[in-house]
Amino acid sequence: MKKFLTALLAILMVCTLAACGSKDTADTGTTDETPKEGTVFNIYAWNEEFKGFFEKYYLGTVPYLDTDGDGTLDAYYEEAPGKHWVDEGVEFKWTIVPSDNSQYQEALDAALLNQENAATDDKVDLFLAEADYILKYTDSAVTQDVKALGVTDFSNTYSYTVEAASDASGTVKGVSFQCCPSALIYRRSIAKEVLGTDEPAEVQELLNSWEKFDAVAADAAAKGYLMTPSYAETYRVFSNNVSSPWVDADKNMHFDEKITTWMDQAEKYVANGYTLTEGIWDAGKNAEMGKDGRALCFFGPAWYFNFCMGPAHEEAMGDWAIVEGPAAHFWGGTWLLAPTGSDNPTIAAEIMNTFINNEDVCSKLISQESQFTNNQAVNNKFASDPEYGSEFLGGQNDVAVFAELAKNIKFQNITLYDQYMNEGLQTYFVEYLKGTVSREDALNNYFKYINEKFPAINTETAK
Amino acid sequence: MDDNKKAAAKLILTRFMAYVFVFFFCALCIFFFYLLFISASKTNFQLQGKFSFLPGSNFITNFKNAIDDTMINIPVGMMNSFIVASISAILTTYFSALTAYATYVYDFKLKKYVTTFIIAVMMIPPQVSAAGFVQLAFKYNLTNKLWMLIVPSIAAPAVYFYMKQYLEATLQIEMVEAARIDGSSEFAIFNRIVLPIMKPAVAVQMIFSFVASWNNFFMPGLLLTKAEKKTVPIMISQLRSADFAKFDLGKMYMLILLAILPVMVVYLFLSKFIIKGVTSGSVKG
Amino acid sequence: MRGKNNRKSVSYAKWGYIFIIPFFVVYAIFTLYPQILTFYNSFFENYREGLTQIGPNFVGFDNYIKLFTTSTDGMIDIVKYFSNTMIMWIIGALPQFAIALLLALIFTSTRLKLKGQGFAKTVIYMPNLIMASAFSMLFFSLFSTVGPINQILLANGILDKAVDFIAFKVPARLLVALMNFLMWFGNTTIVLMAGIMGIDESLFESARIDGASSGHVFKDITLPLLRPILVYAAITSLIGGLQMFDVPQVLSKGIGMPNRTTFTVVMLLNNYLSGSKNYGMAGAVSVILFIITGILSIIVFKVLQKKED
Repeated sequence: MKKFLTALLAILMVCTLAACGSKDTADTGTTDETPKEGTVFNIYAWNEEFKGFFEKYYLGTVPYLDTDGDGTLDAYYEEAPGKHWVDEGVEFKWTIVPSDNSQYQEALDAALLNQENAATDDKVDLFLAEADYILKYTDSAVTQDVKALGVTDFSNTYSYTVEAASDASGTVKGVSFQCCPSALIYRRSIAKEVLGTDEPAEVQELLNSWEKFDAVAADAAAKGYLMTPSYAETYRVFSNNVSSPWVDADKNMHFDEKITTWMDQAEKYVANGYTLTEGIWDAGKNAEMGKDGRALCFFGPAWYFNFCMGPAHEEAMGDWAIVEGPAAHFWGGTWLLAPTGSDNPTIAAEIMNTFINNEDVCSKLISQESQFTNNQAVNNKFASDPEYGSEFLGGQNDVAVFAELAKNIKFQNITLYDQYMNEGLQTYFVEYLKGTVSREDALNNYFKYINEKFPAINTETAK
Repeated sequence: MDDNKKAAAKLILTRFMAYVFVFFFCALCIFFFYLLFISASKTNFQLQGKFSFLPGSNFITNFKNAIDDTMINIPVGMMNSFIVASISAILTTYFSALTAYATYVYDFKLKKYVTTFIIAVMMIPPQVSAAGFVQLAFKYNLTNKLWMLIVPSIAAPAVYFYMKQYLEATLQIEMVEAARIDGSSEFAIFNRIVLPIMKPAVAVQMIFSFVASWNNFFMPGLLLTKAEKKTVPIMISQLRSADFAKFDLGKMYMLILLAILPVMVVYLFLSKFIIKGVTSGSVKG
Repeated sequence: MRGKNNRKSVSYAKWGYIFIIPFFVVYAIFTLYPQILTFYNSFFENYREGLTQIGPNFVGFDNYIKLFTTSTDGMIDIVKYFSNTMIMWIIGALPQFAIALLLALIFTSTRLKLKGQGFAKTVIYMPNLIMASAFSMLFFSLFSTVGPINQILLANGILDKAVDFIAFKVPARLLVALMNFLMWFGNTTIVLMAGIMGIDESLFESARIDGASSGHVFKDITLPLLRPILVYAAITSLIGGLQMFDVPQVLSKGIGMPNRTTFTVVMLLNNYLSGSKNYGMAGAVSVILFIITGILSIIVFKVLQKKED
């Protein structure tokens, strides 16, 4: 009888699957290659940031300017380069999947790996990716050379944004529509007490190397201040400047010298009370931005100080300024990548060209959207504008600082594993810094985590 | 007389202690609800720093922002969530009760195996089948279909187990036999006699199933990518992955708060069916 | 006990099959098939590195052997994660059942007749309505180093320095258990309440006429008749407890701090699945989880059932 039941279930299963299967082949049977480009342009993203810019300045279908000052946008961008596509009946379709729990990448991967079999109207034509995992897509056949599609002028882009969108052999697979150089953000009032000045040029002179940074940290602590609010605050400054990758060609894992320097620094800073064991997003760190805040230095790009330093905006507005700090680095940014098999390569190329080379559009991104664009000429125009300044930074022109800084950013020695390597090290190492777990155990847990994510990596070589 | 007085005094004392006990746990639960409420009334910047028990002044703004957000369409999300949660709740309780009834009342050869099988598979964690389920959904192009989230609820081993246990505790076989003598069909006996007896159990499982499905993020998050198909938890998650210019914890807590209201209405409605004495007096053994 | 023994077998056996068909058909298609895939996968090397698919390559029991290999600290990791999970479940479940049972008795008592019961019943279920991840976020902010708990303890001089509660094993586990308790005691109360209400009222009446004390009524009538429901509640709580994920994941930032002592089996499963899609290892973890759940459920079943004899 048991056998009967199993057999019954098996038959049921086979029938249903066969039914689904036959329908499936019927659907895909009609996809013949046509030379004409498709009428549905599919874009994958995890939020609406780019969608907003795209609709305002590429399609011109959404108003971007408030001309009568009533608080609602009413003027459309008449010169929008993509307007004609809308008139020709091309439909721009967005698939937005939240990045929580890596769901965006799961949905995107499924679509890209199924690109060949997908109906023309379902093929991905453009997708967005972050620096943390961009290599997964650029170093794969799922993306294609954008130079072949007609995106050839990179004279105005920052070199690190192009490096980030290139595969190992140097083929460029996409562009970034923004640039996220990260600065040292210091608190003016504390700088005056510790350094005796809050002038950016003088402050930079006193903090332009790690030796000087360490010396100032000791001074700050002696005066009752913190050098940084989080043990991980300086992490990206080190990790962006490594001279060897996390994992070599034989899949052996190594700590770069820059990373071990960070580990030593974090250990020393926590032990000496120069910093806290709070993570970069923890409330305990954010509290140091408020009126009782004791921290001298934060690190982050424009989006960080504009949107993520809440207590500073509430209680310490204008008490801040930015400088390059010990080393150039970046944080965040979104790239547009061209998937292989797209049926609308012309539009994809046109979009990319618009967001790196159309000076009018790029200017609007700065003036209307407070972006730091990936067009040096446009950024430099704003950098030299004496009228331009940030209220949060006490009137300092942040574009001017970033325009200089961005030229020095590197995007090298990147591996597929970096997101997990970097985040994992920060979360596991702090257990040791808190004093609740031995250094050996903390690192062993980190290696376990890496092997759970990537079984092929040999972590023994890092021990 | 003395005894009566003593008993009365004891009752008053017990009642008092019961009040204190119930009050304590209610207060604890209200406290967390209050936390959610004050979080929904603060600005994003206020929520980033030190925690304060005082409510913020941004309640109405957060509400407006949540409603106006172009990324999420709350009415559509609520509707999708409601369709999935309510139909799932009905299907899961009805078919689990039916299956439980079948394995309780009828004697058939496979009965023991069936019961053991269902109880055994109840122990397989849902994460186990989830991965395979998603693979299949992508393979056969069944993403973005609400019924893919609804139909599987027909087979819910844990609900079956509850129904079975409840039947064992409450249903007397004599009632079924009596109905049979009256000439009712088997199907009618289940629908007209057994289901009413199981009302409290059905209500309990409908609540649980509705809530679980309403708050389910994992599976819908993997299957629903089209804006018009998204459910509320996906929208909450979407607010969490918004870009920094739009990211707003206050708005997110507001949506979480809003998402609780429909479930509370459903709970209040269904909990009326968890009442005493449905079986009493119907058949005396 | 009435019911079971004098039940006549009904000759309508075919109806038994007919009534279970929908359940089994749906189960076979939507759940069983993926489950079999999981079991099958556990014998293969099958994962993704970036977008590159590795395998499936048949590896026999290698995945299982890997899970049971002693790690550098002399422990078998998966055994550690199981015991973490069990400890945190038990700390939360014991008060959960005791308090839920008391509350259910209070709410169903015909003697006490408390006022405002409807309100209380609604309120105690409310924590279950909040999404687990949102609830853990609130909890996290309460107990952070700048959260109100630390503020109060500092203001009263109980602490002289803010404490990072989640960095220490005992408070971290207690917090996970406390949150699970808060989220689920209302749920258990409802289950037990419905169970007590299903008991034939006449039994209580006749007991009262016989002059039985409320203690005796509870011991001799309520408890035995509630046993099937208690078995259900205990086993589903055990199964849910072994699948504990959201709460420790959010509270411990996904790493099970400190030193993976709040790391649960499903957190391990999640590490294998999310991103790297390691169906091989995830399959093996699932099969082990299934076996352990089965064994423990049988024990719970036997313990609670035995008293009936």
